[in-house]
Amino acid sequence: MASENIIIIGGGPTGLEAARGIADLGYKAILIEKRERLGGNPDEGSYAALTPDLGDAEEAMDKMRNAVLNNPNVEILVNTSVIGAEGELGNFKVKAETNGKAIDIEGGAVILATGFQHFDPGRETQKYGYYEHDDVITLVDAEKMFKAKNFVRPSNGEKPKSVAFIQCVGSRDRQIGNEYCSKVCCGVSSKQSIEVRHYCPDAKIYIFYIDMRMYGYWENEIYWPAQEKHKVNYIKGMATEIIKKGDHLIVKGEDTTLRRPMEVPMDMVILAVGMEPSVGTKEMADVFGVQKNKFGFIETIEGPMNTVSTNVEGVFAAGACTGPADLEDSISAAGAAAMKSIGAVRKLTVTA
Amino acid sequence: MIHLPVLKAEDRKHEIDPANAPKEDLRDEIFQLEKEGEWIVQRVPEPYMELTTKYGRMKKIPVEKTWHHKSCGQCGHIPGYSSSIFWLNRAFGLDYHDPTDQTSCTAWNYYASATSNPAAQAAVAMRNFAAAYEVGYFPIIHCGTSFGHYKEVRHALVHQPKLRRQVKAIMEKLGKPFVIPEEIVHYSEWVLAMKDRIAERQVIDMSMITATVHPACHYHKLIEEDAIYDKEIYGAQRTAVITGTLQALGINVADYSTWFDCCGFGFRHILVSRDFSRSFSVQRKIEVMIEEANPDITVTHDTGCVTTLDQSQFAGRAHGKKVGLPVMADSQIAALAMGAHPYKVLQLHWHNTDNKAFLEKLGIDHKQKWAEFEAEVSQIKDGKKEYMTWEDAK
Repeated sequence: MASENIIIIGGGPTGLEAARGIADLGYKAILIEKRERLGGNPDEGSYAALTPDLGDAEEAMDKMRNAVLNNPNVEILVNTSVIGAEGELGNFKVKAETNGKAIDIEGGAVILATGFQHFDPGRETQKYGYYEHDDVITLVDAEKMFKAKNFVRPSNGEKPKSVAFIQCVGSRDRQIGNEYCSKVCCGVSSKQSIEVRHYCPDAKIYIFYIDMRMYGYWENEIYWPAQEKHKVNYIKGMATEIIKKGDHLIVKGEDTTLRRPMEVPMDMVILAVGMEPSVGTKEMADVFGVQKNKFGFIETIEGPMNTVSTNVEGVFAAGACTGPADLEDSISAAGAAAMKSIGAVRKLTVTA
Repeated sequence: MIHLPVLKAEDRKHEIDPANAPKEDLRDEIFQLEKEGEWIVQRVPEPYMELTTKYGRMKKIPVEKTWHHKSCGQCGHIPGYSSSIFWLNRAFGLDYHDPTDQTSCTAWNYYASATSNPAAQAAVAMRNFAAAYEVGYFPIIHCGTSFGHYKEVRHALVHQPKLRRQVKAIMEKLGKPFVIPEEIVHYSEWVLAMKDRIAERQVIDMSMITATVHPACHYHKLIEEDAIYDKEIYGAQRTAVITGTLQALGINVADYSTWFDCCGFGFRHILVSRDFSRSFSVQRKIEVMIEEANPDITVTHDTGCVTTLDQSQFAGRAHGKKVGLPVMADSQIAALAMGAHPYKVLQLHWHNTDNKAFLEKLGIDHKQKWAEFEAEVSQIKDGKKEYMTWEDAK
């Protein structure tokens, strides 16, 4: 007898939304998360505000968590790691370890929602100096500081007088092999530049970019307000190196509009780190025999009209485990995966 | 104490996982091509030492049976680089070969847009590798230009079957084996691998010395995955060669903001715009080092960089710039630490920038050393000997 339960691996926004959708449709979702808390990257990275509306990230995640926590149609397994899988559509058996104990989980279909990890700027070594200079931080570090409501220079605890965002760190970079746009960083940097202005009303704020990719309504929601209302300077150019000189950082690079090299002193630099497949994404792709693309993200196989089906029947993937995705993409894909997975198992049970 | 949810730079841990390296391990392909009968791979002779490369893979560095690849332009300017290497080998009783049949790698022509075709370029590289293989020694290179060029040639040969066929045909005409070394090794890697043995034999205290380091562009910017990195040295964010050696000798390595910049040699400026090279070397490197770190010396590892940093300072001096910083190679400093003669072995008289104050700080009587050297030269002048021998250099 085929199972109608849907196994969801990953308890971030995508997994939470898929579980909620499946439960709302009257089916049972089994949500597996290897951390002890649900919430994924927004929770683990202590996100302060969401892009583009600057809504409180914790409130948003609480709302998502609450939708599944006391839901009779959702079984939640935290501290649980999937270590093996067998079976096929209608009869998947997933082997997992939960709190040191081996368990078997059965379901008719699987949704992989294992997400992304932030690019480690140390991979670019001397280019960005993240491991050498206290005042070089990442978007994730900045989120943590905003959440703590204390945005200062890590080196001396003083408010920065000048802050630069460097775009495309670990994205659109053939040299390191990430030949893709991470999609969200331009929006997140613009959002964060507005937050920096809140904490540092007199600071000079710059965003150094290759080209700004402001999808859909982000153009009016954050890009123009950042410039017109919050006086953020967007400089078209590539930063090639960040060094320290005295108490300041120096951003070296090229201003491509003015066609000349630039060396700009800064108090703080925020690296707009891109997305890479998470360790969990790569591991789960191997466990389920799901095809990955050359970057390690899970490959969906039917092009733009079906963004969640994989090469393994009954195994679906949603959100940033399939490639760079913003929250809107991830939540939409979660809904699609919920629908497709239920559709797949229902065809079996109805036929039977 | 500042309490922030952000780690200080020194507490941020950069994890290097060779399994997730963004670049291929070319050696896998090299050995696969050997299995397919495409070429012979010359193994690194034992005993070898292993150092970690940028993405966490291990690189074999031969200790002996080394074939000394020379630098055509630069050996003339800084002959003490090679003689220091030979002296170190002899001091440790290591077997090395100083070939007389090496050809120029011809990569110098890159600088003037005068390169020949890829097959000819690659054939010259493979001819030199074959020469080393035929006598049973493993090539090691100190010229940054050759080193970078050979790494690129190796990459091209692995990935371009047509080029391999063309070069193989040329080697057959020459009657040479088609052989590629397992590793392309730079001498500063050898010096780094030997650093503990060098430090054990150190007779000159260098703990009062502050040095700045210039890593060569051709070493760590071309095929960067092949350069040596160490978590203990700048958190593996900068190459470990030179710095690791100097630290083992007790030298204080000081930072300066333009460390990543070129020495001024440029990829073509030294040939087509030499004034630019001089200005860059003085204003972007030497002056910055002096202003920010006030070092006793700057140490580098490519003979081109030694030459440019050393022999550009006269121009700065003429313009009243703050110059006068001695420049040496890591091999020279290593030999000096072990007691090598500053003129007979290090050949510091070929250096343009005055290094007497540096020698005095180390407690070396440069006047006496110079007199010893002149005495040898007098004997040659007087026809009492044809040239200096290693016995004379002791």
